[in-house]
Amino acid sequence: MPPREGTYGLLAEFDTPGDLIRAARKARQDGWRRLDCYSPYPLEEAAEAIGFHRNKVPLLTLIGAMIGGAAMFSLETWISVLAFPLNIGGRPTYSWPAFLVPAYEWTILWAGLSAAYGMLALNGLPALYHPLFNAPNFRGRASMDKFFLCLEALDPKFDLQATKAYLEGFQPASVTEVEY
Amino acid sequence: MAHESHAKTLPADLGAPAFVDVWKGRALAIGVVFSIIAAALAYADHSIVPLVRAWVMGLMITFGFAVGGLALLMVQYCSGGKWGLLLRRPLEAMSRTLPLVFVYWTVSAIFMKRLYLWADYTSVSSTAAALKAGLITEAQAHCLDFKRPMLNPAAYIWVSVLCFALWGLYAWRLNSMGLRRDADSPDNTPFWIKKFENTSGPGIVIYAVTITAASIYWVMSMDITWFSTIYGLLYLVEQGFQVLALSIIAVIALSKAEPYKTILRQTEQHDLGKLAFAFVMLNVYLAFSQFLIIWSGNLPNEINWYLDRIRGGWGIVITIDFILHWLVPFTLLLSRDLKRNKKRLTLACMVMILAVAVNQFWLIAPSFKDAARNLHFSWGILEYAAVPVAMTAFWLAFYCTRLKTRPLVQTNDPHLKEILEPEHAIA
Repeated sequence: MPPREGTYGLLAEFDTPGDLIRAARKARQDGWRRLDCYSPYPLEEAAEAIGFHRNKVPLLTLIGAMIGGAAMFSLETWISVLAFPLNIGGRPTYSWPAFLVPAYEWTILWAGLSAAYGMLALNGLPALYHPLFNAPNFRGRASMDKFFLCLEALDPKFDLQATKAYLEGFQPASVTEVEY
Repeated sequence: MAHESHAKTLPADLGAPAFVDVWKGRALAIGVVFSIIAAALAYADHSIVPLVRAWVMGLMITFGFAVGGLALLMVQYCSGGKWGLLLRRPLEAMSRTLPLVFVYWTVSAIFMKRLYLWADYTSVSSTAAALKAGLITEAQAHCLDFKRPMLNPAAYIWVSVLCFALWGLYAWRLNSMGLRRDADSPDNTPFWIKKFENTSGPGIVIYAVTITAASIYWVMSMDITWFSTIYGLLYLVEQGFQVLALSIIAVIALSKAEPYKTILRQTEQHDLGKLAFAFVMLNVYLAFSQFLIIWSGNLPNEINWYLDRIRGGWGIVITIDFILHWLVPFTLLLSRDLKRNKKRLTLACMVMILAVAVNQFWLIAPSFKDAARNLHFSWGILEYAAVPVAMTAFWLAFYCTRLKTRPLVQTNDPHLKEILEPEHAIA
């Protein structure tokens, strides 16, 4: 894939989370879809403001959990019934009550791992490069005390001049053009 | 852009809404109807014995609400948290239903000869005679004689009365302190917070000991041969389980009107759902641990308790219990959306309370010779449905009157300010 060139988007910088959320909400209302918020700490309202939608992490967790539980239960069954049947206190070789504990532990383990890695994968991580770090104010303060709204050039409504003026309307601290 | 405050204000009237009286009326009506059914069943069965056994089931359910409510009240005073402020008055009301539970217990104490072998055979000679006549097994005779210092009518009454006295003491102290705290000036709040902590902390320890004693005397000793060291803890967790379920139902139902309309936020409702989920897990963890250990040991003096409750049709009951007690609440409460949805969360909590009833039925009914390993229909077995419903309905009516007696929100608490803020205090 050839390197992309041109404008990634326009980045507006805000001093307070409230300003960011109001701007994001308005932009979403005005039809913007390729937009994102960046803040130093999680803002639930920001996700709502830009049209938070369901992701696949719960489904991945469920699938992981079921694979983990089924795998361990099958392993125990295979060992005890087929591979190495032992008479333990006269109990049947298929002694499911004893199998439940490890199977449960694996269910939880696999659910946790699928949730964590599934979240990272769906986030597009690990990412070695992100164009937003080309903006000096973003690089310096996005994880400290500034709140950013980015309207991306991929959005059909994007127009360098008009969008810049539109963002200025929110009275941000600054509006920066971000290159790929 | 300017930031304005969106904080809500408390309504002037903090009393329970008028529809609590409607609930009370309905509960009373259900109680009366089911009492008549219970009496009719006793007549059809020509025996009062099933009624007395089912009475213990009703006792354990209502006891769970009253004393479990007291325990959760003490826990939230020690743990703090906004969910605690939300539940405080409903829990206080539960703890003030203790007199009714005491009345219920008195009835089971009067009929103890029909419930407990140790109340029937109070001396070595009477045990020997019963063994000779074939009324009891050798194991039962041995256990009766060996456990007599603890399991005898006098000890039963003294221990139970002592337990009630301790619960009553704590219920009275926490309830009266709750009112005095509200009357006091806000400057003294830190003093009250500490005072409640210092009262509740030892109270939780005492609760853990007394619930163990009560559950052993009232239920476990119905089967004289069996013992489990985790039994009290199982009842303790069961009480947390049922009290949380009922509290969630209560606050959601109360939130149709002021003051809960103002103070019940989705965040805290979600928190309560999470806490209930934790109790669902803890409950199945303890119950399954006990089963796994006894199943692994497979010892003749322990395993019979489970065989009595699995064979002869009882396996169906424990399967239903497992589904209602764990599978359904677990899968439902796993969902974040469900915990934030009032109607569905209420439904999940109703399943939990039904599960408590099924569980008590499974614990109590097979303790008796005629029912162990033999689940069969008789008019008497229907008492296990009629009597607990009637007793719980009367308890609920009493609970409604307790709810009406004081304001539903404790105002002298720093959490109140936070609970009045909008959900997300930013935009």
